[in-house]
Amino acid sequence: MVKNEAIERIAELLDSSDTETANTSMRLPRALRDAAALAVEELGAAPTATTLTAVALRGMLEALLMQAALDQHYGQHPQARPSLGDLTVAAAELDGHPLAGQSELLYQSAAEIVRTHPGANADDVLLWAEARATASA
Amino acid sequence: MSTLILFDNEAVQALGDPNHPKHRRVLSHVEVVAQRRRRAVPVTLAVPTTVRVEAGWDGMDRRWALANHLRITDEPLGPAQANVAAGIRSRTGVSVTDAHLGAVIRATSVTNITVLTSDTKDVRAVAGARAVKVIAV
Repeated sequence: MVKNEAIERIAELLDSSDTETANTSMRLPRALRDAAALAVEELGAAPTATTLTAVALRGMLEALLMQAALDQHYGQHPQARPSLGDLTVAAAELDGHPLAGQSELLYQSAAEIVRTHPGANADDVLLWAEARATASA
Repeated sequence: MSTLILFDNEAVQALGDPNHPKHRRVLSHVEVVAQRRRRAVPVTLAVPTTVRVEAGWDGMDRRWALANHLRITDEPLGPAQANVAAGIRSRTGVSVTDAHLGAVIRATSVTNITVLTSDTKDVRAVAGARAVKVIAV
């Protein structure tokens, strides 16, 4: 199965209204299982540990599907891929961050941080930009 | 705290068209959401169904494959929301889609609401007393 077929199939399965359940042979670390049971019983995290697991798994699969669809799109349209600066501006806007209106500073901070931290993400850049702004105030 | 991010017509058009001048900007926000969802941050993308109609987003059309895979939830115009939307439209004179957007904003139980829009003024007008973060695309 090629990647785009997998993306289609995962989307179909996540959209499915089929509520039939199946036993799995999936093995969980015992400590994780016990922590989930405690979260259900004592914190009311979900009606059951099974529900808690299913919700968490769905959330992660949806996020992975989104990213896979975006990556596939960027492969077909490289010019559509946002830069780290673009992502930082977007993150600032979504957070209502005080620096959201200072896109020049955010792009500059992204360019600086990526030189020493190539794996930096938008939230890293925002922190860096905030530190710079505070230091220069 | 959970966040709801709503798309207006131009945001949807920009999302669906790789040649749209705001395509990369809208993708920047979607990409940040995807990254945050991978970290289990509770954030939902949604679109009023009338906005989908106006933008020409046909979920069965392959041209909308990217948008279809981004886990953007439909917000339908049911009887109760149609009543609210009709009232908004009568009072403000906005379009049907903006009135529907306003009805969604007023009905949601989510307190942290963001709208990606090309028309910040109309969004504020339809939101009524609800606090909304408006991001101009």
